[in-house]
Amino acid sequence: MSRHSRRVQLAPGYLLHHRPWRDTSRILEIIARDHGRLTLFARGVRGPRSRLAPILQPFRPLLLSWSGRGEAAQLTGAEAAGESLPLPSPALMSGFYLNELLLKLTTRHDPHPELFDDYHHTLETLKAGAPLERSLRLFEKRLLENLGYGLLLGSEAQSGQAVGADAYYHFRPAVGLVPAVAEVTGVVSGRSLLSLEREELETPEALEDARRVLRAALGQCLEGRELASRTVARAIVRRG
Amino acid sequence: MKHSPALERLIDALRALPGVGPKTARRMAFQLLQEGRVGARDLAGALTHALETVGRCGRCRMLTEGELCSICSASGREGSLLCVVESPADVVAIEQSGSYRGRYFVLMGHLSPLDAIGPEQLGIRELEAILAHGEVREVILATNPTVEGEATAHFIGELAAKRGIRATRIAHGVPIGGELEYVDGGTLAHALAGRQAVY
Repeated sequence: MSRHSRRVQLAPGYLLHHRPWRDTSRILEIIARDHGRLTLFARGVRGPRSRLAPILQPFRPLLLSWSGRGEAAQLTGAEAAGESLPLPSPALMSGFYLNELLLKLTTRHDPHPELFDDYHHTLETLKAGAPLERSLRLFEKRLLENLGYGLLLGSEAQSGQAVGADAYYHFRPAVGLVPAVAEVTGVVSGRSLLSLEREELETPEALEDARRVLRAALGQCLEGRELASRTVARAIVRRG
Repeated sequence: MKHSPALERLIDALRALPGVGPKTARRMAFQLLQEGRVGARDLAGALTHALETVGRCGRCRMLTEGELCSICSASGREGSLLCVVESPADVVAIEQSGSYRGRYFVLMGHLSPLDAIGPEQLGIRELEAILAHGEVREVILATNPTVEGEATAHFIGELAAKRGIRATRIAHGVPIGGELEYVDGGTLAHALAGRQAVY
């Protein structure tokens, strides 16, 4: 590894999270297409005269420049990457959820260009007003694939037998699909699993089954860590 | 150079103020202990007094030492209008504009799902109590134009709508005296979307 600090110019990226730092600065958590997730110190980006404040917003495609490596990189510039609609208000909570998944499940400085493209695509579909649930499930599935935890949805774990549309299964994280009978609680239908594998998810049942399978698989990756955005989303629903 | 413990403590304490770094804190401490001793005693007294007496308004959560703040207890205020803001400084800013005669509700923050800041942390229970009372006819959502502010506005807007109360969002646009050329794309998009007929 070079000891020289390095400069990155106009790298495509998104702001995932930010927190205030000192009086006028922020600490940014970003994901860049070709550099992975990293922390940047952004000096002087708060306050009335900051030119960057309106640009440095989550869910907005950005071109980011920074210098320095490791944990002390400084933001040196940011531009909006082309035209982009804002994320509609009803989709904002879903956006925060996507960001938290990326924050908690990706490693720093480990680029995943396909994952970045999936994230970008998911935000674009949400901006276009696509149904939230389906977009989130497809992102979760691809996230797991990109992280090396892709689900085997077409065959049973032990026997390797093909999943039948009319059969029922238990999904066990770290194991896979285990045949079950229809009456047992917590089973998912083969039809739903195949629908998720083909990334269709067009029925409410398929969506609900996919939610349960993906949630169990993500739970395994999160190793017991809670998702704060999920807790807040639940509190909002309770209030509504 | 090492200062005496009492002086060191004062310098450290002054750094709690916004915009004050170690150098400024030292200058302030020297000033207070040299020419400014009378002022320093006043400052110490005022700070202690304020800390002991200033709390939050029982209705709008604004900083005040009474049960209700001056705005909530004023008789000339329009009770049918409720402006929801993020911080006490926002109340002051709107008051200074001189264009609003309703009441306020101060959230003391915004929804920040990744930091686990949800409805409970923003005093939504108190806000719901005000809305349930029936006096408010319009909720003006004046949270900041950030994604967190938008999420907060959307959530409170839905709470109001469920009770049949009109919810409006403050307009975002080009600052007065500004030049379009220097306005960022997001703000311009909002300004265009919120355009109004001139006749």
